[in-house]
Amino acid sequence: MFRQYLIILFAAILVSCSTKEKPNSENQEDQSITLYSHRHYDTDQEIFQKFEDQTGIEVNVVRASADELIQKMESEGAQSPADLLMTVDAGRLVRAKDKGLLQAVDSEILAKTIPSHLRDNEGHWFGLTKRARVIVYDKEKVDPTDLSTYEALTDPKWNDKILIRSSGNIYNQSLMASIIANNGNEKAKEWAAGVVENFARSPKGNDRDQVKAILAGEGELAVINTYYLGLLINSKDSNEVKAGKAVSVFFPNQEDRGTHINVSGIGIGKHAPNKENAIKFIEYLVSEEVQEIFAKANYEYPVNENASPSELLKSWGTFKEDQLPLSKLGELNKEAVVTFDEVKWQ
Amino acid sequence: MRFQIKHLRRDINQWSLFTMAIGIFIAIPVFAIIIYLFDGVGEMWDHITTHFLLSYITNSLFLILGTGVLCFLMGTSSAWIVCNYDFPLRRLIEWLLFLPLAIPSYIMAYTYVGLLGNGGSLINILQSIGLRIQRIEMMNIVGLTCVLSWSLFPYVYASARAIFKSFPNSIRETAYLLRASGHRYFFTIALPLASPAIIGGLFLVFMEVLNDYGAAKYYGINTFTTGIFRTWTALEDLQSAIYLSALLVVLVFAINFLVILQRGKKSYAIKLNQSHHSHSKRRPLQGRKKIVYLFILGIPISFGLLLPATQLLYWAFLTFDTMFNAELFWIALQSFVMAICASLFILLAALALIFFSKWNHLKTTHFFKKIATIGYVIPGAIIGIGIIRSSQTVINFFSDAFHLKIGYLFYASSVVLIYAYVFRFLAVAYNPLEANTLKLGRYLSESSYLMGISKIKTLMKIELPLLRNALVGAFLLVFIDILKELPLTLILKPYNLQTLAVKAYEYADDERVAEAALPALILMITIGLLMMVLNYVNRRYLTSQMN
Repeated sequence: MFRQYLIILFAAILVSCSTKEKPNSENQEDQSITLYSHRHYDTDQEIFQKFEDQTGIEVNVVRASADELIQKMESEGAQSPADLLMTVDAGRLVRAKDKGLLQAVDSEILAKTIPSHLRDNEGHWFGLTKRARVIVYDKEKVDPTDLSTYEALTDPKWNDKILIRSSGNIYNQSLMASIIANNGNEKAKEWAAGVVENFARSPKGNDRDQVKAILAGEGELAVINTYYLGLLINSKDSNEVKAGKAVSVFFPNQEDRGTHINVSGIGIGKHAPNKENAIKFIEYLVSEEVQEIFAKANYEYPVNENASPSELLKSWGTFKEDQLPLSKLGELNKEAVVTFDEVKWQ
Repeated sequence: MRFQIKHLRRDINQWSLFTMAIGIFIAIPVFAIIIYLFDGVGEMWDHITTHFLLSYITNSLFLILGTGVLCFLMGTSSAWIVCNYDFPLRRLIEWLLFLPLAIPSYIMAYTYVGLLGNGGSLINILQSIGLRIQRIEMMNIVGLTCVLSWSLFPYVYASARAIFKSFPNSIRETAYLLRASGHRYFFTIALPLASPAIIGGLFLVFMEVLNDYGAAKYYGINTFTTGIFRTWTALEDLQSAIYLSALLVVLVFAINFLVILQRGKKSYAIKLNQSHHSHSKRRPLQGRKKIVYLFILGIPISFGLLLPATQLLYWAFLTFDTMFNAELFWIALQSFVMAICASLFILLAALALIFFSKWNHLKTTHFFKKIATIGYVIPGAIIGIGIIRSSQTVINFFSDAFHLKIGYLFYASSVVLIYAYVFRFLAVAYNPLEANTLKLGRYLSESSYLMGISKIKTLMKIELPLLRNALVGAFLLVFIDILKELPLTLILKPYNLQTLAVKAYEYADDERVAEAALPALILMITIGLLMMVLNYVNRRYLTSQMN
């Protein structure tokens, strides 16, 4: 009886293993690209499918966090199958470049479409969509004329009123890096200490949770990424919609450098087996058509200026964005984390 | 000296060589990680020790103690009640008590914020009946302890239940003849006898708690595992991250040592309840006792299963029209096949290690068994690094020596992932199987050898059928673990493979928790169904044996 079972088991194992092997990835001439992506939105899948339909180039996606993907590319070395690395922040792309995992791309289309501060100056990576890290405030309790800059968040009048997630989050790290880049390390540290002083509660939860906490009266201001507010307002959960509608967006630093932005971006692997196809793919991603899909489905700001953002984003108005080259965010990321730790921003 | 060589000649046979070979093969990632240790700590080590190390240690210890106490209370009490008393829906409840394991802890963490946090669904209900309550704060270390306990207590329940079930009736009857009260019987006889099994279950809980990343990160609690990730990713210091993992492994060994110390030289052998007829008779619950006992059962069931499952159902209902499609079933099927394959490999590896080493006398094979089962205590992401690094060495070797490009075998197939699962979860199957094999004793197999029957045949005809229950149990535990596994699956899976856990994680990570609910529910249902099928098969088998 047991022997029969064992035979069936082995048969099952053999079948399952053999069906999973797709030998076509061995052939480098074939029409496919391999994308290592930290983005995992359903709309991305639709966009890739469209690319396949248009060009016949198949897109194989490996999805994990950017750090793991970078580690993976690093260990794989010259035999890495990765044609492209896609992340949700510029900092990780800078890190990949520093580790020599990306290669320069010379594409007129990309240079023309993407503003220079949103891409690497040597063409190692390109921003695809923008997210602004803004202040949202309780419509009922806060007068927006009291708000001005990120720096002003340390004002004692916001004592016990500020909600923000933990420093382990990359969006906070990038914001901190931009503040270090603009104000210097000492000022940045003072700023962080001042914000910690004004925390309404110890940092926890994600960006959406901060907005919900405003509705519940735990605090009055929250620092979050724009697209999370978009997701809240369009949520199917009526409580989330209520939370999203209880707050308004304020774009800080409009009088000086502009609001901090970050990008979700992409770069071509140093050892990409299908470089030409990969370039085609990036060019496709910044085309007007695709940029509008990004914008509408996920409430991100397009990098292609010809593409228009979603109605909701338009309703928040236009804003001046910080022109700091995003590569700075990557360079200063570690310093930002160390500073957070020193002021005990959990 | 001559004496030792004589032993060596006796002990070095194919079985001991097999054991060592399997041990070494499975432990390759450990060696890869140990090589990293030789490079010394990274530059951020001082920063970590001054700012965090203390909080990592205290938080992790708090979590271990807290979950230890809660899981012990919930797991042991519920196992005792379902094994010894009869009450309505007993069979269903006995089965439901396993199910919290089917909800990944980080999903459980999200559901509790969805239930009790700001604007939570349970809070809304409480408010609508007039209670002035804003939220019940879950996102702190006490909340995390509760959530982890509710999702992990079934490990204790499962092992306690197995041992309580195996108690022969004679023990209890003797106790009652000597006029021991029910309480006295439980505390002075049943509990001490069951303690190795219960501690074994607790050990699994501790490992899961120490390895939890998602829940602790979401609740903003610094633990070893969140620290390892932070050091690796945000502070860009892989070296120090690996040193932190090494510290974690030391902590685990300390716990393990305490377990061994507790066990001491005591013997816990009991003549097991082999015959089906002498099953301990369950007594009906009555009166006040019934209310109290059902209440005790109600706590783990409602907090571990009913509340989170209801919240998941609610979310799944909200997102049903966008999330429900044929692809989801395809993903479920892939996860299922993958987990079954890997679980079988794990069982094979565990059996090979146990029996090959049983068939020879070489003491050193114990060492190889230990390193082969170490994977359970190392954080998944670090194992991922070790495995990528070692598979890379193999790939490079083939391309340098033979000009063979075998990279696609690693990237495009599930071979590496299955290997990783074996490394990671071998201990989960190995420990209970070994314990049960020891219980079998040697006399059965040795009489079989005396009759000239080969070792393999004895294994097939006698030992494996006797281990049947243990095999099914180990298979289930491993299967559930693999279905829920995240970091390794994320980093090592071939691009055409999708699993339910990954799908759920991707949504939750993007703050779309409601969208994560349907994959999580399907995960739960899959595990539930498999448990039912195995239960049915087992019961049919037992009945056929009896007739």
